[in-house]
Amino acid sequence: MEKYWRSLEERDNPKEFKKTELLAELEHKKAVHTQENGTSRRDFLKAFGFTVAGSALVASCKKPVEKAIPFLIKPEEVTPGKANYYATTYYDQGEYCSVLVKVRDGRPIKIEGNDLSPISRKGTSARVQASLLNLYDDARFKSPLKNGEPVSWKVADEAVVASLNKLGSEGKMVLLITPAIISPTSRSVISSFLTAYPNITWQVYEPMPASGILKANEASFGRAVIPDYHFDKAEVIVSFAADFLGTWLSPVEYTSKYAAGRDLRNGRRMSRHYQFEAALSVTGSNADIRIPCKPSEETAILADLLQELKKLSGSPGTVSKLTSHDLTAVASDLWNKRGKGLVISGSNAPENQTIVNAINQLLENIGSTITFDRSLLALQGTAEDSAAWIAGLTKGQVAGIILMDVNPVYDHPEGGSIGEAISKLELSVSFADRNDETTSLCQWTCPGTHYLESWGDAEPKTGSYSLTQPVIQKLFDSRQAEESLLRWTGNEISFYDYLRQHWQTEIYPRQNEYINFTDFWNNTLQKGILELPVTGPSLNYSDQGLAEALEKATPSSDGWELVLYESIALKSGKYANNPWLQELPDPIAKISWDNFASVPVKWAEEQKIANEGVIAINGIELPVFVQPGQAENTIAVALGYGRTIAGKTGNGIGKNMFRLVNQRNHGREYFVQGLTVEVTGKKYPLALSQTHHSMEGRPIVRESTFDEWSRNPASGNEIREEHLKHYTTLYDKPEFPGHHWGLAVDLNSCTGCGNCTIACQVENNIPVIGKEQVRARRIMHWIRIDRYFSGAPENPKVSFQPVMCQHCDNAPCENVCPVAATPHSSEGLNQMAYNRCVGTRYCLNNCPYRVRRFNWLQFHGNDKFDYASNSDLGRMVLNPDVTVRSRGVVEKCTFCIQRIQEKKHLAKVEQRSISDGEIEPACVQSCPSGAFVFGDMNNHDSRVFRLIGKSSDPGIPGDPRNYHLLEELHTLPSVGYLTKIRNTNA
Amino acid sequence: MGKRDRISPAPARQGRLLLFLVITVLGSLFLPVKGSAESGSGDYNIRRGERFFKGLLPFDRKHAACASCHNLTPTDTLNWNPSAWEISVKYAGQDFESFRNAVMEPMGGKMAEVHQQFNIEDEDLRHVKAYLDSMATKGPASARPTFFNLMLFLFLGIVLTWALIELIFIRRIRYRFVPVILFLGAFGWQAKMVVEEAIRLGRQQHYAPDQPVKFSHAVHVGEQGIDCMYCHTTADHSKSAGIPPTNLCLNCHVLIREGTHSGRFEIAKIIEAAEKGENLEWIRIHNLPEHVFFSHAVHVGAARLDCNQCHGPVEEMHIMRQHADLSMGWCVNCHRDTRVDFVDNGYYDTYIKLHEQLRAGKIDTIRADHIGANDCMSCHY
Repeated sequence: MEKYWRSLEERDNPKEFKKTELLAELEHKKAVHTQENGTSRRDFLKAFGFTVAGSALVASCKKPVEKAIPFLIKPEEVTPGKANYYATTYYDQGEYCSVLVKVRDGRPIKIEGNDLSPISRKGTSARVQASLLNLYDDARFKSPLKNGEPVSWKVADEAVVASLNKLGSEGKMVLLITPAIISPTSRSVISSFLTAYPNITWQVYEPMPASGILKANEASFGRAVIPDYHFDKAEVIVSFAADFLGTWLSPVEYTSKYAAGRDLRNGRRMSRHYQFEAALSVTGSNADIRIPCKPSEETAILADLLQELKKLSGSPGTVSKLTSHDLTAVASDLWNKRGKGLVISGSNAPENQTIVNAINQLLENIGSTITFDRSLLALQGTAEDSAAWIAGLTKGQVAGIILMDVNPVYDHPEGGSIGEAISKLELSVSFADRNDETTSLCQWTCPGTHYLESWGDAEPKTGSYSLTQPVIQKLFDSRQAEESLLRWTGNEISFYDYLRQHWQTEIYPRQNEYINFTDFWNNTLQKGILELPVTGPSLNYSDQGLAEALEKATPSSDGWELVLYESIALKSGKYANNPWLQELPDPIAKISWDNFASVPVKWAEEQKIANEGVIAINGIELPVFVQPGQAENTIAVALGYGRTIAGKTGNGIGKNMFRLVNQRNHGREYFVQGLTVEVTGKKYPLALSQTHHSMEGRPIVRESTFDEWSRNPASGNEIREEHLKHYTTLYDKPEFPGHHWGLAVDLNSCTGCGNCTIACQVENNIPVIGKEQVRARRIMHWIRIDRYFSGAPENPKVSFQPVMCQHCDNAPCENVCPVAATPHSSEGLNQMAYNRCVGTRYCLNNCPYRVRRFNWLQFHGNDKFDYASNSDLGRMVLNPDVTVRSRGVVEKCTFCIQRIQEKKHLAKVEQRSISDGEIEPACVQSCPSGAFVFGDMNNHDSRVFRLIGKSSDPGIPGDPRNYHLLEELHTLPSVGYLTKIRNTNA
Repeated sequence: MGKRDRISPAPARQGRLLLFLVITVLGSLFLPVKGSAESGSGDYNIRRGERFFKGLLPFDRKHAACASCHNLTPTDTLNWNPSAWEISVKYAGQDFESFRNAVMEPMGGKMAEVHQQFNIEDEDLRHVKAYLDSMATKGPASARPTFFNLMLFLFLGIVLTWALIELIFIRRIRYRFVPVILFLGAFGWQAKMVVEEAIRLGRQQHYAPDQPVKFSHAVHVGEQGIDCMYCHTTADHSKSAGIPPTNLCLNCHVLIREGTHSGRFEIAKIIEAAEKGENLEWIRIHNLPEHVFFSHAVHVGAARLDCNQCHGPVEEMHIMRQHADLSMGWCVNCHRDTRVDFVDNGYYDTYIKLHEQLRAGKIDTIRADHIGANDCMSCHY
C-alpha cells in the first residue's frame, strides 16, 4: 500500500512524529488548566454552590421582558421566520459568480450558488462565501469623509464638482482608476461622466492583470480578449503555472467544468491533466502528472513543446532542445487528442502566451476547447497601461485622481511613490467602502456600497448578463460609486432608474422571449442571469510575434527564483479584514493567519532549516514552510498579506510581497530572479493545522489509476471487500424507519479549494478563534480538508479529503457521553444537544475521525477574540436557526440539521415526500466541483444510494469505488468516500 | 435578542413616595387652598392637580375621583380604563382645549356615560393637565415589587440560624425538639423553595404581562368569533405564527372605533400608530429558550393541532396569558400521545416499514415520537 504522509516529519520518522504530536497535544491540554484564568477545582465548587443558591433567589425575580414588534405594514413577500432567496451578482478582484442570497427577516445571512448560471453554475468560492461578512464589517465607512473627518454628501458633492470644474478649466489632467468594469450600465455612467469632464482619463487597474493573454491574443488573433476555455471538453489539459482551480481568471467556472470532464460517477471519460509549475498550487495538486520547473524556464519548455509537436506534425524544425524536461509524453498525448486538448499558461509574459497560442493553433484546439464567441471580460487591464499612468502620476503630470475600488498604494510594486504622488494631488477621491492604504491618503472619501446593498449588472462574458440587486437597506450613509458619478455629471436620476432605462434601451431589444419590458425585467431579476445569443467573431490566427517570442526562450538560469502567487483565501488582499478568510487554512500548506516562504525540501535539508525558521528574501523576513513539491531553487510566497490599513483583523498579518513584483518591460510578472536568500536563525510561530486531528496512519485515502479503474472499478478499494467479509456485530442492526441520511464524497472531484469550509462556517455560526488558538489545535471548522502527500517529497502526489462528522450508526462518541448529550437520531444522525453537554470531552477522545470540536473558551462576544462576532454589527451575520455555542460545549457537523428540518417541515405541510436532492447541506450546495452528494439512503432511487449504498448493510455496498473511513472499526459511518482516480500515463 | 427591561425594586423611591403622600394629605387638610390658579407656581399647580386627580381636595364632589377609574400604579386585575400614565402620554403634546374636550365632551360610549355628570371647573382641569404633563416627563409610578419569596427565604434562614444557635450554644428552651423541629421545618421549606424555583427557572407559566394596548382575545375570538388564522396568518406555513401587522388591525378598526369595554382610548392607539408609522411594541408572552427550535408550521399546518391545545382557552382571556408551562417534559409527553396523520399525509410514504406493520396490524397507531419527534435534534440545533 502507498504510504501517505501529511508532513515531512511524519514521513521521515512516523514514530517520533507521533510522539511529538501527542506531546504537543498534551501540552496544550495541560496549558488549559493553568493558563487563562487560574481557577482550580475548588474555586469551581465554591462558585457552583453560590450559583445554585443565587439562581433560586434570582428565580423569584421577574424574567427579562421580551418585546415582539410586528410590521406596521407587512411586505407581501416577507414571512417572519422564513428565508427569501434573491439572485444577485458577485464580482470582485476579477472574480465573477452568480449567487443567490438567503435573506432572513431582512438580513442577508448566507450566499449560495445560482444553479441557473451557465458560468458559475451552482458553485461559489471561499471568497464569494466570505464576502457576506464584509457587509457587516465595523471597518466600513459610516459617512463621507474629508481628510478623515465626517462631512455630508452635499458638502462632498459640491467640493468635488467645484474642484473637477476648476481642474477642467485649467486643462489639468484627472485620472479615473477602476478595476475592470464588467457592468455595461456602469460603463455607460462612466462614459457620460467622461463626456462631462473631458479632462478625465479613465484607466483600468488590476493588481493581477491578465496582460500576457490580452497582448498575445491581440497579436495572434487581432483581438485583446480572454477566450472561453472549455475544461469539460478537453481530454488533455496542459497548464503552465495557471492555478485555474484556485485563483486564475474564473476559478469557480473552471473547477465546475474541470470536474465535469473527470466525473466517473456518470461517465467513463476522464481528462488527463499535466501541470508545469514551481510552487505546489491547488491545481498542481490535482494534476495527474505534475512537473516542477522554474518559472523562468517556462518559455523554454513551451518552445520545446511546440518543437516536439511540430515534429509530430511532420514539419520538424532545426531548433535544438532548450530544457532537459522530457516532453514526449505530453506532446504525444496532445497530438493524439488534437482538437480535444487545452494548453494554458498563467504567465503574464506575452511571449509565453504567444507560444501557447501557436501550440493550441497547431493542435486545432482553437474553436473547440478554446472559443472566442463568449470571451471572458472579468479582467481587462494591462500592466503596460497601468505603468504609463503611474509614470504620469509620479512625474507630476496629473492634478487629480478618482479611485474606484482600487488600492495601488498597497498592491503595486511602486505603491510607495504612488502614495506620495496621490497625497500631493489637488484632488483625490476614493469610492472605497472601507479604509485602505490608498484611500487613507485621499482628501475625499465618498464611500461606495457593499454589493449586497447595490443595484447593478454585469457582463462577465460576451452576451452573458446578470443583474445585481440590493438585498438589504444600506447600513451606513454610503452611496454607490455609479450614483456619485451620476450626481457629479449633474444627473439626479437614481442608479436603479438609470439601470432599468439602460436595460430597456440596450438589452431588452436584443431578446425576443418577452414582449413586455416589465416582464422581462422581473424575470431576469428573479433568475439573476440572461443569456443572449452571440455571433462569434471570425478570428484568424497569425503567427505574429511568435518568432520573437521563441527567441526569448532561453535555458533556465541559475540562482533563486521567487514565485509570487495569489492565495486561495485572500487573493490579492482586498478581503484581508475578513476573519473567516484569514483563518481558512491554505489548501496545501494548511497554514492560516500568515504568509510564509515555501522552500524546497532538499534545500531545507541542506540548510538544516525547518518549518517556522525565518529566512530573509531580499531583506524581507519570512517564516519558512518546507514544501514538498516545491521546484528546486525556487521559493514561493503568497501575495495579499501585509496590509497596514485594512481593519482590526487584517492589519499587520503577514508581509506585503507586491513590492517585489517584477516590472520587466513595463509589464508585471509574478516571479523574481536574482534573489538573495539568507537564513537568519530566528524563529517565527506559524498557525499550522495540517497535522492536527490525526487519524494515525490508517488507510484513509484510497486511490487508483484510470487504467486500473477501467479494468476493475473496485481497484484501490480491494481492502473493502475484506472488511465487509468481517462484518459482524453483537449489537442490533440499526433500523431507520423513515429517512437515513447519507453523504457521498467523491475524492476524484474534490479539488481542495476550501469553499465548503467557509460555507459551513457561515451556515453554522462557527467562531473564528485567532492564530494563537489555531496553534493550540483548537481550530473550530466542522469540515476540514485533509491533505495527504504520497511518494517522493521532491514531487509528491497529493490527495485531498474533506472530513466532517461521519454520523456513524454505531458511533463511538455516543457510548461514552455520561450525560447522553450526543445520542443517535431515528434518521441516522449523530445528534449533539449543546445544552445537555457538560464538556467532559470523552466524545472528542473517542472519535476516531477527530471531527468533534470543543469550545475551549467563549469565542462569541468575547473581547479577547476581537473578530466579527464581537460586535453587534458582526453578529448580524449569525444564522438564527443555529444555536451560538458557548464555552465548555462540544460541537460538530450536523449534516446541516436546520436545512434537513426546514425541508422536512415544508414537505409535511405540503403533504408530499421529499424529492432526492431537495435537501442540501451548506457544503453540498455550493461545491463548485459537485464532489458532495447528499440524500436519503432509504430511498433506493436516490443518487446517494447509488453511490454509497446503505452504510449499515454490507449487502448493499454501493459504487465499487465507495468506502468508509476506518470501516474495520465497525462504526458504520453515513459518509462514504469514492476512491481518487489518477489518469497517469505510466 | 429583544430588548431587556428589568423591573428593579426601588425601596428608596417607595419610601419617598410614601412620605410625599403623607405630606400632601396633611397639607391638604391644614393649608388654606388658594382660589386662583394663575397666581400659583408650576409646582403648586402640579400638586393641586395631583390632589384633584386622587380626589383628595376637600370639596363637594358628585362623582368619583379620576384615580378611581384611571390607575396610578399598575394593578394585577384588569382595568379597561386607560391609566393615568397612558393619558398623560397621549395628551402631553396636546393643548388644554383638546384635553378639556376629551374629558368634558367625550365622544360617546362608556366614557360619555361616566363623564356625563362631570362638573369640573377649567381651573381644576388645568391643574390635572399640569399634573399629567409632569407625569409624562417623569414616568409612571412603579409597581410595588413583591418581595414575598425573598423575604420568606431570608426569614426561614434567620429561623434556621437561630434554631441552630439555640440548639448548640444558648440552650434556653427546655424542650429540645422545638428548635430541632424549627430547624428541620425551616430547612425543609427552604429546600423546597430552592427546588421549586430551580425547576421554574426560565419558565413563565401563567405569565400575563400588561400589553401596550388592552387587546382582548376574549372579545375578538370569544365574542366576535374571529378565526385565529385571520390575524396569525403565518401559523400554518412558517415557523412563527406571526403577530398581525398594525395595518391588519385596521381592516376592521378603520370602521370600529369604539370597544365594548375599553371605549375609544385603546383603539385610538392602533389608529394613531398606523397614522404615525410607529410600531406597536407588544410584550412577548411565549418565550422559548434560544436553543429551542419550534415551528408552528409543523404543528398547525401539518399536524393540524388546535391552537388552544397549547395556548389554552384563548377565547376566554381578556389578558393573554401563557397557558402551558412550555417545559421540555410537556413537549415530549405530547409527542408521545399525539397520533400522526400517517396514512393521508403523503410525506409519510417514506416510512415503508411502518406502513407495512400498520397494514399487518402489528401496530395500531403511529404517534409523533415513533417518527422521531423526540429526537434531540428535532428541536435543538
